Amino acid sequence: MVLCIVAFVVLGVMSVFSAKYRPLAKEAFRCVFRTVTFRPCDTGLDDRIKAEVLSRVMRFSLPAARLANRHFQTLSWVFVLLTLGSLAYSALGIYNFYQYGNCDGPQASGACILNYLTSDYGRFSSPTELIAPNDTANGIVAGDLGSNVTVVEFGCFTCPYTKQDEPAVQALIADGSVKYIFKPFPLPGHPYSRDAANAVLCADRQGKSWELRKLVFDHQEACAKGGVLPIKILAENAGLNMTQFDKCFDGNLTSSELDHYIAQGKASHIYATPTFFINGKPFVGVKSIEELREAVRRAKAGR
Amino acid sequence: MNVRNDFPILGKYPSLTYLDSACTSLKPRAVIAAQDEYYEEFGACAGRSAHSLARKTSGKIEECREGIAKFLGAKAGGLAFTKNATEGLNLVANSFDFSKRRQVITTILEHHSVLLPLMRLRDEGKIALEMLRPGGDGMVAIEEWELKIDRNTALVLTNNANNTTGIGHDANAICKIAHESGAAVCIDGAQGVPHRKTDFARSGFDFLCFSGHKMLGPTGIGAIAMGEEWVGKMRPFLLGGGTVKSVSEAKMEMLPSTERFEAGIQNYSGIFGLAAACGYLNKIGMGKVEEHEKKLASLLAGALEGVGAKILGNPRAQNHSALYSFNVAGAKPHDIALLLDRKDIAVRSGFFCAQPGLEALGARQGAVRASCYVYNSEQEVKRLGEALQEIGKLY
Ligand SMILES: Cc1ncc(COP(=O)(O)O)c(C=O)c1O
Repeated sequence: MVLCIVAFVVLGVMSVFSAKYRPLAKEAFRCVFRTVTFRPCDTGLDDRIKAEVLSRVMRFSLPAARLANRHFQTLSWVFVLLTLGSLAYSALGIYNFYQYGNCDGPQASGACILNYLTSDYGRFSSPTELIAPNDTANGIVAGDLGSNVTVVEFGCFTCPYTKQDEPAVQALIADGSVKYIFKPFPLPGHPYSRDAANAVLCADRQGKSWELRKLVFDHQEACAKGGVLPIKILAENAGLNMTQFDKCFDGNLTSSELDHYIAQGKASHIYATPTFFINGKPFVGVKSIEELREAVRRAKAGR
Repeated sequence: MNVRNDFPILGKYPSLTYLDSACTSLKPRAVIAAQDEYYEEFGACAGRSAHSLARKTSGKIEECREGIAKFLGAKAGGLAFTKNATEGLNLVANSFDFSKRRQVITTILEHHSVLLPLMRLRDEGKIALEMLRPGGDGMVAIEEWELKIDRNTALVLTNNANNTTGIGHDANAICKIAHESGAAVCIDGAQGVPHRKTDFARSGFDFLCFSGHKMLGPTGIGAIAMGEEWVGKMRPFLLGGGTVKSVSEAKMEMLPSTERFEAGIQNYSGIFGLAAACGYLNKIGMGKVEEHEKKLASLLAGALEGVGAKILGNPRAQNHSALYSFNVAGAKPHDIALLLDRKDIAVRSGFFCAQPGLEALGARQGAVRASCYVYNSEQEVKRLGEALQEIGKLY
C-alpha cells in the first residue's frame, strides 16, 4: 500500500537518529519495493499502520474513523503526495542553504538564520528569547547622537536579508531622528562575512565605513564568492588609504573588536539577521521603512 | 472460575483479553516452575547414565509419563513424547504400515499438520487419500463416514475438536465405524485434549496426538498416545540415541517400548512442564473446565450473532468449543484482528493452518478466530462483542 512510502520516508529519517527505528524502516522499504513493483506488501506493516490510525481516530470520532476507513486508499495517496511535496520542499531548502546561506533562496524576504548544527552560537529561535544589549554606545554609529531613540542593528554583510533591509535602514538614518548603531554579526553560514565586517571596521577607522558598507552590499555576491580580493578592490574604490587599510585588515587589527560585537550578539541570543533593537524592543528580519518608522514613533511615545 | 492470578502474563498485561488460546495457551506459574525445577534440581539425562542424578531424572520422567497417560486415560506404556501434535501426526503418517491396506480417510477441515503428511504420501503413490467434505453446518455427516470407510481403509484421521469451526466430530462414533471395518483411528487431539475430559482407552482410539502448549504446558513438548499393541508395529521415522536395545555393525534391535520413538535427548524440562500442566488441569477438574467453556461458548456465539458476524459452521452445534471463526462486514480478517489488538484484545486471523478447510467453508480470505480457555471471563467475551460492534461501524 502507498502508505508505506510515507512510513519509509518518516522512519528512514528517524532511523538516522535512532537505531530503534531501523528494523521498521527496513520493513517499510521492503513494503515500498513491493508496492512499486505492483505486488502486495507482505510485511503487514501497511495493515498495522491502518489499524493504528483508525483506532486513534475512533477514540474521538466514530464517523470520522468510518470515513477514514472507507476512503483509506485515497487518504493514503494524499499523504504520500504531501510527504513527497514536503520532501521536495526540504530538498530545495537544503540546496538554497548551501547556495545562498539561507533556506528560502536569494530573493526571499525574511532573515538569515543561524546554522544551529554547526555553530556554537546557541540554540535560540524565537524573538521572545532575545535580550536587548546593554552596550548602546559601541559599534558603527550614525544619526542624531542625542536622540532619545536608539536603534541597534545586528547585521551580517553577506546575508541577503541584511542587504535587502539596507535601503530602509539608510532612509531611517536620513530621517535624522534616531541614534543608529550597527554591530556586525557575521553568521557562520555566510562566506567571507567576517572579512567584510573587518574591512568595514577598518574603513570606519578612516571615517569611511559608510562608503565601503554601501559598496559591499552592492556587490554582496562577489564578496561572498570571491572573498578578500573583491573586498580589497571595493576598499580601494571607496577611496580608502590602502596602506593603512592593508595594515589594519591584514594585521587583523579589528578582530578583537569584531569578536566583542559577536559576543554581544550571542549574549543577546541573536539567531538571525538583521535583528533590530529599537529602544530595547527586538525586531527580527527584514522590516520595511514604514514598519521601522512606526516602531520609532512608538518608542518616542514611550510605548 | 478464578485462576487468573495463576498466570503471570495476565498480571503483567492486566488489560489484555487473550482470546487466542487455540493458537497457544498462556502458562500458569506451576508449569513455569516445573520447567525450572528440571534445570535447578535434576539436570541430567534420563534412561542412559547410571549416576544418581541421572537415575533421579529417569525416575521423574517416568513419573511424568505416568501422570500424563493417566490424564488421558491411557497406559504409560503407549505414550511417546513428541515436540508437538505435528510430530505425532507425522509419526503416524510415516510409521504406519500401509502395505496391506492403503486407503486413508480424513476431512478437508483438518489442520495442515494432518493434511500435508498425508498429501505427500498420496503424491508419492503410497496411499489413496480421501478427504471428506463438510455440509453447510461445517460437519461431515456420520452417514458419509459410514459410506466411505470400508475394508480397504487402513487409517482414519480426524480431530475431536476442530480448530476452525470449534465443532468436533463424534470421534467415538467414527472410531466404532472404523473398527468395524478393521481400520485404525488416529485422532488429532490438539484442540480436544486441552478442553475436555479425554478417555483414550474407553474411546478406543488407536492413536491420539496433542501438544502441550495448547493445554497450559510449555512449547516444544507434546505426546502421542497409542494402543500398546501398536508400539511394536510402528516403524520409527527418527532413529538415534535411546531408541535401540542393541546395535552391532550388521544389525540393530529397536526397543520394544515407546522409547523407540524418542530419538535423542528429550525435552526433559518440557516433560516436567507438561506433567505439571496435566496436574494443574486435574486440580481444576476437566469437568469444571468443560462447564466453564460451555458457558463462554454460548456467550461468544450470542455476542458474534449480535454484531451480525458471519460464523463458520453451526454456532449452536452440540459440544461446540469456546472457539469461533467469523468474518465481520466483509472486512479483511487481519484488519479486524489489528483493530481488536489496539483495544488489547488478542485474536487470531488468517487461515489457521487449515487453508483447504477455510476455502471449503467459503472463507476464501480467511477469518478471525476467538478462542477461550480457563482464564477467560464472561466480561472478556462481552468486551469482544462491544469492540466488534464499534469496529463494525467503520465498514
Ligand atoms: C487441530 C490442530 N491440529 C494440529 C495442530 C498443530 O499443533 P502444533 O503446531 O502444536 O504441532 C493444531 C495447532 O494449531 C491444531 O489446532
